[in-house]
Amino acid sequence: MDIRTRDLNKIVVFDISGDLSRPSGVSLHQAVKSQHERGMRNIILNFAEVGFVDSFGVGEILASYISTQHLGGKIKLCRISKKLYLVFQVTGLIKILEIFEDCESALQSFEAL
Amino acid sequence: MLDDGRLYRFLRRFADIRPAEARSALYLFLYFFLVTFSFYIIKAVKENFIISVNSSLWSYADLITAVLIGFVVALNARLLNRLPRRTYTSRTLLFFISNLIFFWFVFWLYSRRTFPWGSLLALAQDSRIHLGTVFAFSFWSDLFIAMSVTQFWIAVNDVFKLHQAKRMVGFLVTGGLLGGIAGSLLTLRLVRLINPVNLILVCPAALLLMLAVVNLLHDERERTGDAAKSDPTWAAGSGIGYLESFRTVRGNRYLRILAGVLASSMVIGQLIKYQFNFIVKQVYPTQEERTAFLAFFFLAILVVSTVFHLFTTGQLLKRFGIRLTLLLAPVVILVISLAVFVIPAAALMGLMAWAYGIRGSDRAFDTTVGQSVRELLYIPIADEIKYKAKIFIDMFVSKLGTGLGAALYLISYHALSFYSYEERAPGIPIQRLGVLVVVFALIWIGLIWIIYAEYLGAVKKDLEEKWPNPDKLIKAHVDMDSTLLLFELLQSRQKSSTLYAMNLFRLKQMEKLTPEVMEVLAFKEDELKALSMDSLLDVGGEVFYPGVEEAMTADDFEVMIREIVALPPYKLLMEKHLGGVGGAKTETEVARMEAARLTGLMEPTPGVLQSLGRLLRDPSPDVLNYALDSAAVHLQKDHIPLIVPLLGNPMTRQAAQCALAAFGPRVMDTLRKHLQDPGERPDVRQAIPEVLTRFGNQKAADILVAELCLREPELEEALVQALREIRLEFPDVLFREQKILEVILSLIRTNYAAILSAPAGPAGEGGGQALPQGKAAVDLRTKRIFDLLTLIHPPDDIVKAYQNILQGTKKSVDSSLELLDNILDRAIKTYLFPLIEDLPPAEREHRLKKLAKGLGVVSS
Repeated sequence: MDIRTRDLNKIVVFDISGDLSRPSGVSLHQAVKSQHERGMRNIILNFAEVGFVDSFGVGEILASYISTQHLGGKIKLCRISKKLYLVFQVTGLIKILEIFEDCESALQSFEAL
Repeated sequence: MLDDGRLYRFLRRFADIRPAEARSALYLFLYFFLVTFSFYIIKAVKENFIISVNSSLWSYADLITAVLIGFVVALNARLLNRLPRRTYTSRTLLFFISNLIFFWFVFWLYSRRTFPWGSLLALAQDSRIHLGTVFAFSFWSDLFIAMSVTQFWIAVNDVFKLHQAKRMVGFLVTGGLLGGIAGSLLTLRLVRLINPVNLILVCPAALLLMLAVVNLLHDERERTGDAAKSDPTWAAGSGIGYLESFRTVRGNRYLRILAGVLASSMVIGQLIKYQFNFIVKQVYPTQEERTAFLAFFFLAILVVSTVFHLFTTGQLLKRFGIRLTLLLAPVVILVISLAVFVIPAAALMGLMAWAYGIRGSDRAFDTTVGQSVRELLYIPIADEIKYKAKIFIDMFVSKLGTGLGAALYLISYHALSFYSYEERAPGIPIQRLGVLVVVFALIWIGLIWIIYAEYLGAVKKDLEEKWPNPDKLIKAHVDMDSTLLLFELLQSRQKSSTLYAMNLFRLKQMEKLTPEVMEVLAFKEDELKALSMDSLLDVGGEVFYPGVEEAMTADDFEVMIREIVALPPYKLLMEKHLGGVGGAKTETEVARMEAARLTGLMEPTPGVLQSLGRLLRDPSPDVLNYALDSAAVHLQKDHIPLIVPLLGNPMTRQAAQCALAAFGPRVMDTLRKHLQDPGERPDVRQAIPEVLTRFGNQKAADILVAELCLREPELEEALVQALREIRLEFPDVLFREQKILEVILSLIRTNYAAILSAPAGPAGEGGGQALPQGKAAVDLRTKRIFDLLTLIHPPDDIVKAYQNILQGTKKSVDSSLELLDNILDRAIKTYLFPLIEDLPPAEREHRLKKLAKGLGVVSS
């Protein structure tokens, strides 16, 4: 898994590529916490190039959500696959996570706050 | 006039103000100064007139006020609600000026021997007319001070919010005290030169100045854009008046108790006044002597009050909070009242000293801490009812209290024959009145106790949750066990059909194969291979529609698997198979994963457990995760030493935490040893607190707190998070307050050091507008401080206060600070507030430097 970050105003976009599964390097949650240490609280996870999410990956997403929310920030997902969206739907995760079809909409939802 | 910056720097020496507040604060200071300046001249004259009449008539003046004030309250309420503030205040001031000139004329006529209009002179000198004029003047002066002070505090409410007012109130009340001192001094100086009647003429001049100051205040509010805030938004003709004000108070418990507090203090004040008057009449028989003495007495009270107020009121509020500060007056008065019973009834000098002491205390407390804190009690009330209530309580209820005191005096005077003792033993009526003072002091104390609880409730009403607790949200909407299993199931389908089938069975075994999941999964009865289910789980659209494949019910499936696994031949076969699956060299990773999963389904025979132990040492994280899952089923003590190191691997941490949690509290001692071992790997130690959270008992909390007190930076985040979760999930668990406070102070100390040593520079530099270096760390530590505060205070209050400080409106930020001010430990709030209040950077640095020494921080 590879994570690249880019800053847009007060929002950090994580462009994730590969499988969101057990990592050999830095995990997603560790990367999110690094952003917290920079003072960034608004995060978008771009799933356009994510192939597969396993139970570890789901745990990382939720851990990132919890730690960001506790600081008063928000974490949003964009461009997840139809397959993944349906699984999120069945498990109830869509009631917790804000999911957008495209990253522009996710960005605009932050600006609307 | 000083420019704003210089004015702020000047006023900052005397008051805890902010730059934008300087001008308004100055105008309000002058406003109150002029109110009390005028009043203290009028007061000495009025008291002299009253004392000069027969003592049996004293209470009639107060009763007249009590009866008539209600009508005036009604009219005042209507005016306040219909007129713009500026118009309302200006017109009432002009009305008072004209009244003063009229009274002066009538009293002046009374003292004349000749006048061009003889009939007018005769009228003025009629004893009944004179008595009526004295009573009218008494009523008027009560009305004047009640309306003026009410208008002043309404102006304060308009200009400042709750926490601002609390900072400013000491400064503003000082203005009032100084005004009273100036008025009394002037009275003392002039009374023998121009006589008490002509003193009245000084006041119109002061009121004209007051008119100018009020207009400047309104100009300032218009300049800052604040003027619209307070003007009534109720439509004209909405029927708001005395009855509405009365209904507002009657319908609100907090307001009723507040009214009771004020009424009790007024009754006591009135009774003490009569006790005092008995003595003064005996000691000072002439008008000039009496007026001079009264001016001197009020001056002395004011000087003592000012000194007390300057050095004590703010400190009392800061150190002891609102409740104890409120209790000070009734407790002191109670004690002094009891002392009168030991003074001989004919000992004039002793009684004089006592009377000065009790009246002085009553007046001093009332004009300083009593008034300040009573006004603060109004501020958390919603705006739409505040002004209606304030008029009714300040004017009517206070006079009701006065009238009740007067009525009690009148009844006592006649029933207990005060006139018999007035001259030979004035102590007798004083002692009899003293009994009533003691009773009402006790009532006053009781009401204060109740209102404090209500006050905090009123403050909390302003605080809404800004964002929901994510842990609670997840718990409410997501079944984590089945979610993780479902993802594991989908992943295993790609690896092995056997693994897939076992995961499916596991899902059912744990009763997580919910109807929703079942709807999307369908099986062929005679094949347990996931390949045949590929189409069902391959999201192309049609696979989620049931009825494509013949489905086997999940219950049938589970029963079949259980039957197969229970077969003795199957068990022997599988044990032999597991015995052979040992290392990466002999079997593929998938085979080892299947074996690891299988061990969880089988009975815990020695062979199976031995195999599991080997698998818990496997190099593959996927194998380890299945092995950990199986270890959580069999719960063998021997496996614990194999599981603990897996906490340090991020790929197996979660499963290892679940496995250890499954062992239950018996594993806590082992975990404690690893947590406290400085030689243990940091990532293992960091993972242990979450396991302890799941036990949620007192022992787990104690272990975590003990470790937290060792102040190891790499463990702090995990420990604080775990403690916070225990607090929210298990409210019966207690935390050692002193230890938590020490840690909080330590975090505050670190923040002070970080801020004071940070290089100066503009905020918000760097790509993405990340916070300046160090500030983000300060913010994270501040969050940690609040997490720790939830351990020793109601979590809901602390969480809402924190959220509103970060993202609330100005009013809710203010309410958050007020709530914290009332519930936090004194040392904590002293050092914490400069970190969380919205201060200009230079001001914050200034405050931190002042406090740094007390914290043991060396500032550069």
